[in-house]
Amino acid sequence: MGGKKKAVYKLSLIVLLSLSFTLSGCGGNNSGNGNKAGTAADNGGATATQTAAADTDGKIEPFEISFFIGEAGQQPTPDNKIFKKIKEETGASFNFEYLAGDINQKLGVMIAGQDYPDVMTGNTKLTAAGAYQPLEDLIEQYAPNLKAHYADYWNMMKDPNDGHIYILPNYGVYNGEVNSAWYSGPAFWIQKAVLKEFGYPKVKTLDEYFDLIAKYKEKYPKIDGSPTIGFEILNSDWRNWGLFNAPQHLIGHPNDGGVVVNDGVAEIFADKDYAKKYYQKLNEMNQLGLIDKETFVQNYDQYMAKLSSGTVLGMFDQHWNFSAAEDSLTTQGKIERTYVGLPLVYDTATTDYYRDLAVLNLNNGFGISINAKDPVKIIKLLDTLISEDWQKTLAWGIEGEDYIVENGRFMKTQEQRDNAADPTWQMANKAKTLFGYLPKIEGSYSDGNSTDASAQPEEYAASVKPYDREVLDAYGFNSYVDFFSKPPANPVYYPAWSIDLVEGSDAKIANTKLNELSTKYLPKAILADPADFDSVWGDYTGDIQKANVKAYEDKINEQIKWRIEKWSK
Amino acid sequence: MDETLGKESAALHPKKKKKQPITWSLIKNQKQLIWMSVPLLLYIILFAYVPVWGWTMAFQNYRPARAFSEQEWVGFKQFRFLFTDDNFLRVLRNTLAMGIINLVLGFVTAIVLALLLNEIRKVFWKRLVQTVSYLPHFLSWIIVTGIVATSLSINDGIVNIVLMKLHIISEPILWLSQGKYFWGIVGASHVWKEVGWNTIIYLAAIASIDPALYEAAEIDGASRYKKMRFVTLPGIKATIVILLIMSVGHVLEAGFEVQYLLGNGLVVDWSETIDIFVLKYGLAQGNYSLATAGGIFKTVVSVTLLLMANWTAKRLGEERLL
Repeated sequence: MGGKKKAVYKLSLIVLLSLSFTLSGCGGNNSGNGNKAGTAADNGGATATQTAAADTDGKIEPFEISFFIGEAGQQPTPDNKIFKKIKEETGASFNFEYLAGDINQKLGVMIAGQDYPDVMTGNTKLTAAGAYQPLEDLIEQYAPNLKAHYADYWNMMKDPNDGHIYILPNYGVYNGEVNSAWYSGPAFWIQKAVLKEFGYPKVKTLDEYFDLIAKYKEKYPKIDGSPTIGFEILNSDWRNWGLFNAPQHLIGHPNDGGVVVNDGVAEIFADKDYAKKYYQKLNEMNQLGLIDKETFVQNYDQYMAKLSSGTVLGMFDQHWNFSAAEDSLTTQGKIERTYVGLPLVYDTATTDYYRDLAVLNLNNGFGISINAKDPVKIIKLLDTLISEDWQKTLAWGIEGEDYIVENGRFMKTQEQRDNAADPTWQMANKAKTLFGYLPKIEGSYSDGNSTDASAQPEEYAASVKPYDREVLDAYGFNSYVDFFSKPPANPVYYPAWSIDLVEGSDAKIANTKLNELSTKYLPKAILADPADFDSVWGDYTGDIQKANVKAYEDKINEQIKWRIEKWSK
Repeated sequence: MDETLGKESAALHPKKKKKQPITWSLIKNQKQLIWMSVPLLLYIILFAYVPVWGWTMAFQNYRPARAFSEQEWVGFKQFRFLFTDDNFLRVLRNTLAMGIINLVLGFVTAIVLALLLNEIRKVFWKRLVQTVSYLPHFLSWIIVTGIVATSLSINDGIVNIVLMKLHIISEPILWLSQGKYFWGIVGASHVWKEVGWNTIIYLAAIASIDPALYEAAEIDGASRYKKMRFVTLPGIKATIVILLIMSVGHVLEAGFEVQYLLGNGLVVDWSETIDIFVLKYGLAQGNYSLATAGGIFKTVVSVTLLLMANWTAKRLGEERLL
């Protein structure tokens, strides 16, 4: 070994050593996080006594909490009324970071750097990376209101992978009577003008629905000068349910995502005969020219632009996905072009099951990060905010300013209604994003008022426009929700779509494959010459069989079993 | 201070161009130089070589937020997944095809535009054409794809309108729904976006050609076309070759945004590139290892292509990069 070689050898050794030191340094930090879970409660104990001491003094200590919000948004104004009130009464001020850009990229950077703010909105990637603190001990010790709020849902909140509670779900916990006047879920939507044109017929089946659209399109080939579009299907990126989900509803099943569950056993429906029947129908409708030629080429923005133009007669979609287009139509004064959701089924013997009782959404809401310096303060704050008084402030605003009370009923003047709908006003007078992700009372308060202003019957009645009144009266309904059958109690496991397939697992890969195959073949099948439909369908189901569907179904079934076991009371 | 400078310049300009043995005294003499290069060296080590350490991820079942020693080692499993997937060959084909189309189209159009611009005598028009052609470079792909999608639309898309008016087609064509058009659309969008920008370097090269050569050619009776052919083109040959070698290394970077934003279910067989595949099965699934494996594969292929191009250029007696 020559001198030079030796030097190189030495040098590389030094490099290697220093590298491994740095790395093990990082490693040490990381593995520490695992233990932190256990010690969090102890740490919390120490700080808790401090806060308790402060509380007994009657002084309010100011503190700041940093929040990461996993969606794009706008900062509230610095003098926001609600945040000011929170600061005055609890000492808490907020530092929000909204998502800018791609969520996966942002999370990747956060996880790689272990750089977490105090509180983050729920995400399975963060859970998998161990970014959240377990909350069950914190809640037991310091948050009696939260404990009571979630009492019935306690087991459902546990992470199926390790049994800890990481996220406080924001929606799905109901109290009192539930008023709802707005249906946000999936349906076959049809323009109100179409129903009016044909004397408000009762539409129950898929065939009736397309007949109406065909007749209307024939009669009015153009709407406001643009060609009428019969039926629109959005299949862009993650918003792919417009193409995928309809078959399960048509056979009277609720939305379980990619599977249909019978007696606690899940199987995919993409390749089943009832799915074929739907796509064959679409194929026929395409032959009649009812389906937009560009439907599979467009992205979400183009889709929304078409809906907003009022030329689209119908589509299958979830209401929340296109409600912005309806707002635009309303602003344009084209109320007759807004939509009615119809719970279609294959035949009248099937009961529709589109509308479901809202479920706990575990992928949403807030979790406290492992980096939070003072989890006890945070949980105490959340505990305060779940109290009924604060909930009223967050949902309705301040009495006298944002709403009025008549005979114990909450109501708004027209000015207050206009304010509430004004985004600029909201920035200064509502804590909209924060409230959106906070644990919240849904349904009604103990005094019987709705927790949601738009669901308060008096408020809803006041907001119905004359055109809508006519439609509703023709059917004898109070609101558009009445088009749907009343939902039965949810099965214990429901819904299967919220099952975490676990990042990188075979099940998840199979699911991605399935998505890919459906995205590729279904448009082909729908646009195909009717004579070729069967052969395209054959290719499709053949490829599905090659994908590892079993891994996907097994994972779902395993989780369904787990849920039935753990969630049953 | 003066003394060291004097020594240094002596060391920098040896009398004969002979390899000087590296000795302590030489190093001492040049210590300023060496210190000056340290930050750059650190920079390169930190940003070009340390990240290579991350390649170890490709051989693990990498879970974030876990120590290196706690990672599970899986050998070539990620690579096996990549290469055995039915889609991989198709994805590789698309990447290569679009990469080569972009490379060839990008090259030819940029050189042709540079030659043509060079022939424009009125400075105002030359500037105008140049500015108009390079402005799209500053648009992001998301805007460009929006423009492309709108122009190709069957309702009032400019492409269909023009073709209809020219009676080339009798019915509007839904360009984005057919795989056979997809590569062409991507190539054309690339040309539209980048041609002006790519031209700049050739214009610079052309500007450095000795005007005496043109005068001599003119005296010899060369036409405009002949001057272009025998003076301008050979004058920028070196630039062309160097740029070609560099671009060959980027063939697998056929792009991600265009294909991702313009692609849809109907053309997925033609639109999906390695990057999209890696996004779908790697990043979107939290499988960072697979994404790394894809990255390594691309790097290895790119370096190989680059070396091959360089070697070929050397064989042909042309300029080369390395």
